[in-house]
Amino acid sequence: MNHIGIGIAILGVGIGLGLIGNGALQGMARQPEAMAKLQVNMLIALAFAELMGLLAIFVLPIMVK
Amino acid sequence: MEFGFPQFGSLLAATEEGAHGASFWGLFIYFGLVLAIVVGALALAKQSFGERVFKKRPAQLVEQVYLFIENLCISTIGPHGRKYVPMIMTFWLIIFVGNFVALFMATSPTADLSFNLAMALISIGYVQWEGIKAHGPLGHLKHFAGPKLGGALILITPLLFLIELISELMKNVSLSLRLFGNIDGGHRAVEAMNGLGMHLFGLDWLNIPVGAFLMPIKLLTVVVQALIFCLLTCVYLGMVTGGDHEEDHSHGDPAHAH
Repeated sequence: MNHIGIGIAILGVGIGLGLIGNGALQGMARQPEAMAKLQVNMLIALAFAELMGLLAIFVLPIMVK
Repeated sequence: MEFGFPQFGSLLAATEEGAHGASFWGLFIYFGLVLAIVVGALALAKQSFGERVFKKRPAQLVEQVYLFIENLCISTIGPHGRKYVPMIMTFWLIIFVGNFVALFMATSPTADLSFNLAMALISIGYVQWEGIKAHGPLGHLKHFAGPKLGGALILITPLLFLIELISELMKNVSLSLRLFGNIDGGHRAVEAMNGLGMHLFGLDWLNIPVGAFLMPIKLLTVVVQALIFCLLTCVYLGMVTGGDHEEDHSHGDPAHAH
């Protein structure tokens, strides 16, 4: 059961990361001058979304016990 | 005295049985390596610090790092951000070199949860200290109280205070777990992928390290995670030393070299 739960959590994280990348790429396509700023903010948002996946892998199995 | 190396096993099994990375003395040795690299690089660069224009490569690289951290601090915290550059620079150097060592070695200080928790506690403790220095203890606690609500909404101020307190404690968890998960997760992913190429065709000696193909992604996370830790510390510092009593409409320009 643990494994299925982690899989579902990572599913959500994958979709979230894809959406962040989508937004960043569309912004960069509209305005190539802002590429550096968009890249920095995209990486910040990626770290927060990634954190949920890491919580699912490392923290939840221990908490469930 | 044993120099511990990570246990091999599947990701979930290792998490379930609470397998640790390096032992205490193993971590000691690896952290000594990280410190040796940092001090060595800075000592190499220090030789040319008297010149007006750096001609040798080590000093130029260190200058780039310094300009990057200074720009980060000033653009995130504000014009008074320059006095936090030493602390953020220390964090960045330790975390970046610690992550970089993790690319080539079995463990690294930043692949250990206790080390990362210590770094996060120091970082958040430093943020609280700077907040108390800027506004006084009572003024710093007032930041947790949230906005001034009038009328019947005054009743939820204790709830807001509690939520802010918990959120502050969660910052420790998130900072440490993010760094640990990215670096140690890189190790475990490489182990898992190496398992794919073990004992091919039933032969004992044919092991292809498929995990080596993860190196570019790991390099990206090495750089990004060092930046994220320092950036988040700067953001928390900016929130806490907001200087809301000295607001003026002239913002300092980010540092740029002339």
